Amino acid sequence: MNGLVGLPYNTLVVAAAVAAVGFAAGVVGSFGVLRRRALVGDAASHATLAGVVSAFLLTGRRDLPTLLAGAFVAALVGLGVLVAIRRFTRTRDDAATAIVLGVSFGLGIALLSGLSARGVAGAGGLEQFLVGHTAALTAGDAATLAGVSLAAVLVVWLALKEATLVAFDPAFAAASGWPVTLLDYALVALVAVMVVVGLPAAGAVLVTALVVIPPVAARQWTERVGPMLLLAGVIGLVAAVGGVVASAAVPRLPTGPTIVLAAAALFAVSFFFAPQRGWIARRRMIRDVARRIAAGTLQPDEDDADGG
Amino acid sequence: MSADGASAPALELHDVTVAYGRRPVLWNVDLAVTAPGLFGIIGPNGAGKSTLLKATLGLVPLAGGRVRLFGKPLAAVRDRIGYVPQRETVDWDFPVSVMDVVLMGTYARLGWFRRPGAAEREAARAALERVGLADLAGRQIGRLSGGQQQRVFLARALAQAADLYFLDEPMAGVDVRSQERIFRVLDDLRREGRLVIVVHHDLRTAADWFDGVALVDMRLVAAGPTASVLTPENLRRTYAGHLDVLDELGRAVERGGRTS
Repeated sequence: MNGLVGLPYNTLVVAAAVAAVGFAAGVVGSFGVLRRRALVGDAASHATLAGVVSAFLLTGRRDLPTLLAGAFVAALVGLGVLVAIRRFTRTRDDAATAIVLGVSFGLGIALLSGLSARGVAGAGGLEQFLVGHTAALTAGDAATLAGVSLAAVLVVWLALKEATLVAFDPAFAAASGWPVTLLDYALVALVAVMVVVGLPAAGAVLVTALVVIPPVAARQWTERVGPMLLLAGVIGLVAAVGGVVASAAVPRLPTGPTIVLAAAALFAVSFFFAPQRGWIARRRMIRDVARRIAAGTLQPDEDDADGG
Repeated sequence: MSADGASAPALELHDVTVAYGRRPVLWNVDLAVTAPGLFGIIGPNGAGKSTLLKATLGLVPLAGGRVRLFGKPLAAVRDRIGYVPQRETVDWDFPVSVMDVVLMGTYARLGWFRRPGAAEREAARAALERVGLADLAGRQIGRLSGGQQQRVFLARALAQAADLYFLDEPMAGVDVRSQERIFRVLDDLRREGRLVIVVHHDLRTAADWFDGVALVDMRLVAAGPTASVLTPENLRRTYAGHLDVLDELGRAVERGGRTS
């Protein structure tokens, strides 16, 4: 790799914007994971493709804000259908998610193939939303993505107390008067925003990894919500920038897969090497306890002795 | 207690009926309890005890009837209500410390977007002191025993500084020493003039601690002072068809006879 210095100005601007997207996806995604809504982003992201193609069909335009607006509407429609299936049928969460994910993605692919089969002028390039392609972004697009990302982080920071309370104990939150359903919808909408903003970088299929992997990796290193959000943001940022740089260096390499692979590598490191929750630390602890039991030197913890 | 609380019963249920889907779980419950007091809601598994509590707090919808707290609808007096949910309802692997959880008791008073400050931290620390967990304030909540976790929940409710407390099975899966400690705190709350409503499953400890009880088995079987409610006849009516508790029942009746 030649390093950032060798990259053209536009690539640097795009890399900075994608860094902001990666950071915000990690922060927002943390609450998705903590509230056990990790799969919601998956359903939303697969629905976006149909939105991108529909926006192009309806408006004839293919500028990024138009296409992403279409993607956002489609994500919300997909989530709305998900809520409706859960509410009005006896279908379980995972099945409902799989239905919305599969059907909406199938619709998106069908629309996309229909367009290319008829050779519609200007339709070329929409398939880049499948796997992510940052090279085509303009500086203006980059600024939009970065702006929305920073706004999303700001919202989370503002409502940190409320989001933590609802994610941890929704029954207590409701009993003390917080609008839990409203906050849940707001969280899901925010995840949908990040999925849409991450679309140009990671693509419809993989963008959900950007809101799930960094939080799960970050959780390994810390026992507090604040540090977890920050770390998830940093991991998302590093993965996103790594993906952009790698795909800029290697011709025709899409950004989505490289971002996800970079995030997965950081997750693997976290999974094995985190100081307390990591696999190696846990193995060592179990072995240590077994040895102390065998030696008869294990004493009850003083803290636990007071009330078991 | 404020003056208006003294005039109306702290808890008043009129003809409360609750159904999950098509299945009714509670029928026509009428109950009035005045402050101060330590009041148990007792009945067999699946009798609707927790549902009664959740319906009172607006967490499950009423199919019929109404709830009045201090003579007012719930929404008007929420800031005077404290709540301890069942321990298993939350993920104890959640990345928060003991102190973080207790501070949640101050959130409703703080309102939107305001963060807890020195006063809230002081209140949380005092609450932890009261349940005997002050030196574990910084610990992640998953690294506590079941009894300690239950005391964290109690401390969070204490930080709510309420006049009327609802506790859902606070003694379930809790060791004897923690039970003792929890009951002592609840007893202090009563002494301070508050009303504490406890959903409870253990008949043996009920007679020792509660000054009033309600026996529930989908309907209200009986309610009033503990000694007059925990009679062999009432217990038989509540636990009819629950052979598994007959042994426990015998012991409770024995004890009830001795204390009354």
